[in-house]
Parts: sequence; C-alpha cells; structure tokens
Amino acid sequence: MRFVAALLAVVLASPAFADCPLDLGRGTGWVVFSNHYMLAFRSDPLRIETGEPFALVLNVCTKNGKPAELVAVDAQMPEHRHGMNYRPTIVGADNGRYRAEGLVFHMPGRWELTFDVRAGEETERLTHDIILK
Amino acid sequence: MTRLLLLLALLAGGAGASNAQQLLDWSADEIASVGQHGPWPPPPVRDPSNRVSGMPAGILLGEHLFNDLRLSGDGRMSCATCHQAGRDWSDGLAKARGNVELDRRTPTLWNVGYLHWFGWDGAGDSLWAQSIRPLLDPREMNGGPARPATLLRSDAQLACGYGKAFGEKPGIDDEKLLVDTAKALAAFQATLVSPRTSFDDFRDALVAGDRDRAARYPLAAQRGLKLFIGSANCNLCHLGPRFTSGEFGDVGIPFFVRPGEVDTGRHGGLGRLAASPFNLLGKYNDDPTGASARRTRHVQRQHTNFGEFRVPGLRQVGRGGPYMHNGSVLTLEDVVKHYSEVSPDRLHSDGVPVVRPLALSKEQSADLVSFLRTLDTEVPPRPAAPPLCP
Repeated sequence: MRFVAALLAVVLASPAFADCPLDLGRGTGWVVFSNHYMLAFRSDPLRIETGEPFALVLNVCTKNGKPAELVAVDAQMPEHRHGMNYRPTIVGADNGRYRAEGLVFHMPGRWELTFDVRAGEETERLTHDIILK
Repeated sequence: MTRLLLLLALLAGGAGASNAQQLLDWSADEIASVGQHGPWPPPPVRDPSNRVSGMPAGILLGEHLFNDLRLSGDGRMSCATCHQAGRDWSDGLAKARGNVELDRRTPTLWNVGYLHWFGWDGAGDSLWAQSIRPLLDPREMNGGPARPATLLRSDAQLACGYGKAFGEKPGIDDEKLLVDTAKALAAFQATLVSPRTSFDDFRDALVAGDRDRAARYPLAAQRGLKLFIGSANCNLCHLGPRFTSGEFGDVGIPFFVRPGEVDTGRHGGLGRLAASPFNLLGKYNDDPTGASARRTRHVQRQHTNFGEFRVPGLRQVGRGGPYMHNGSVLTLEDVVKHYSEVSPDRLHSDGVPVVRPLALSKEQSADLVSFLRTLDTEVPPRPAAPPLCP
C-alpha cells in the first residue's frame, strides 16, 4: 500500500500528470497507470451488483501531456475464459471525461476490466481486476 | 403432578439441546453467501416500460384477460391453460402443448416480474413483449393480432376494465390494443410472487445470529446448502433472492429437438429480440428515460449463445418439473444426478468450467435435494378474480 502511494506520488509529481484530474479515483474509485497513461474511474452506481447494469465514468491522461483517448472498455472472467454478455458503448462528455455504459457482470468472481487507450498512433491496453462476491 | 412437570421440563430441555446441536458451523463468508439469497419477498415489481405495471386496475384487467379463452383462435385456450395456478403456474408436462406439442417446457410464472429476459431463449426483453408471443404464435393460442382489440371493444366488462386501467376507451388501433392487452397481462403476472419458505426463515435467523431459530432448519438441508454455496458452486448462476442470475447458460442438455433439427436457444432468441417491433427500443416502451432498455441496447449476440437457455429461478422448484428447458429431466433427484455426472466433453469449456461433473456421493445428492425442497412451500388455492366493473 505504501509502495503504491509512493509510486502514485512520483507519477503525480511529473508535470503532465500533475494536470490530470484524478478525483474519479478517490474513495470508491480506482486509478490505473502505465508508463505512458493514467486512468481514473469509478462505477455508477458506486456499488457493482452481480447481474445489474452499471456504467463507468473515466478520465484518461498521458504522461507526456498529449491528448489521450479512450477507445474501448470490456471485461472478461480470465478463469472461465468468457466475457460479458453485453457490449459497452463509450460517450465522451464535455468535461473531458468518458462514460462507458452498458456493463453487466453476470457472475460473481474475478472480472478483468480492459481499457484500450490511445494517444496519436500509440495504443495500449490497461487492465484492472474487480472481485465480485 | 410434580413428576409430570419434571418430565415435561426435561423433554423441553432435551429438545432445546437437540436443536442447539442441529446447527452446523457457518463461517462468516458462508453466512454472507446465504444472506445474498434474501431477504424475501422483494419489493413489488414496478416496470417503467409498462404504464399499468403495479396499478390495481391494470392488474385486475390482466387477471381477467389471463383466464379469457376468447384470446385464442379457436376459443379453447387461455394463458391459464398452460400456466395453471394449481400447478405452480406451469402445466406439469415435459413439453408445452398449444395447438401442437412444442419443443420446450412451460416455464413457471412464479416471480416472473423480476426477470429481465423472458422465455427460455430470452427473446422477450419485457414481460409484456413476451406476453404477446403466445397470443400470436400459430403453435400456441393463434389468436391473430386483431383479436384482443376486437374483444376489448366488444365486451362491455373488458372495455370498462380497460377504461379504468388505461384511462381511455379502447380505440381503433388494433396493434396498440394488442400491446395494452399484453401490458395488462404482464401487470397481473408480475404479482405472482412465491411465498416465504423454511429456507427464508433459516436465512434470516442465520444473518441475525439467532442460533436457536436457525437450528430449526433440517440438518440435511443445511449440508445441502453448504454444498450449494460451496464446492458445488451452484450459486455462480443460481444467485440472489430468486436463485437466478436471469442470464443464460449451456448446462449440457442436448440441442437436438428432432433428427437434424436443433434448438439454438439464446442465439436464436437474440435474433428474434432484434427483429421484434415490440422490444424495448421500439415505440411501445412507456419509459421516457430509456433506462429500462439498457440491456437491450447493449446485449451482444455471440457464437457461445448457441444452445444456451435461461437460468431458471429455484423457488418452488420441487413443486415443478419435469425439468430443464425441454422437460427432459423428470425429477429433482435426476437434476442433481445430471450435474453430478454431466460430461465435460459435451460442455467444451476452454477455462475453468462453470458447469462440471460434481461427482456427488449418494448422501451429498440427497442433501442437495433436501436443501432445494426447502425452497418450496404450500400455496393456498387462488380465489376467483373480483369483477372488473361491478
């Protein structure tokens, strides 16, 4: 936990990320980052229930300050090797945030969220695990 | 007299001690899992896509229409012909019988209002859209699209009931009256909520930490429940208070309905959903927010949907049967045997299979059945519906 906090502090200290709004990742949200991207998101509603539709509200930034784009959001259960029965759609909002609508985790267990992000020609896939009990 | 009182006290004490010993050890995780299967009953259904959902006048009109033989082409079949109140809203047959014998079993209507996909293949995305299908299907009621409208306009009682439910007289638009008929039918069906069971008493007591009350639940059922939420993983799909995810799965039942002909299940259902003018993306959805159409908007048709069928809820399961979408499994014991011995080759799963042969012992199988039977309860006979316009 301390390591993650320290790493986050180092990342945030870089000038480009310093402008990246991460409020979505606070509290009940999550922050995912790689060498090039940082993604902050939370679910709507905040509590994800098995079998119930939910949306993700996201913000994506690049380390070098280039504009970043969210291309796709999906989810799989790696153990069972199946995805969702639903295909989310992404809508960009005026405030630079994205909203991925139409996700449903239809089983309890480990779900791996995947986020395809792009800045110019460079595309990368970020992942984040959510355990649903 | 003193001896008698002493004997009674001993018996009472003995019974208490015996009860106390009848509660298995339940871990915090297990209690949390059991807790997810309640509370019961849930709040009444209110379907925003149906403007008469939850409205007494709509419900009453729906009950009258549900029992009305005149909705069928030959005047001999109503919804209640297959969905019989005295048979837990099914018919007890392996395969439904309309004008002809069908390929699938009549599903129970208990708790149907809480679903989000309807029919074994989920071709309906609302209870009212699903209710249109048997009215029109030539293999079932074969009523034709104009029959409900003609009936609503010509029968004074039904016309009066329609006026009370929808706030206007039956008009000249036959398709609108077909949809409104289905919406009234749906409003009625959504009230069919199964009663509380001994499982619910156990679940509530366990969650509340009331060991004495929890100990009244039979030991075999407790063992079966531990299997259900534990090593057998039944609650991966049979989850929540209704014991279903409401989604679809392939549990190893053969696809073939006749030589050379298969039931494509969910795959075909999604095709029919997309083609239906009555789906929630269409003009008959009464929900101005569009939120009720979220699943329909985002559902995706995948090759894995082939041969998948809706996961049924398990409340009143022991009173139903035959089982599975095609009625091919006769008893609850046979259902457990199926999951104990299902062929992994038939299921061809790449990863950790959701359905796998459980290899249950005879005792474990009996325990699982004992648990499932605690999801059943007796239901008093249903009184006749009051008149629409006395």
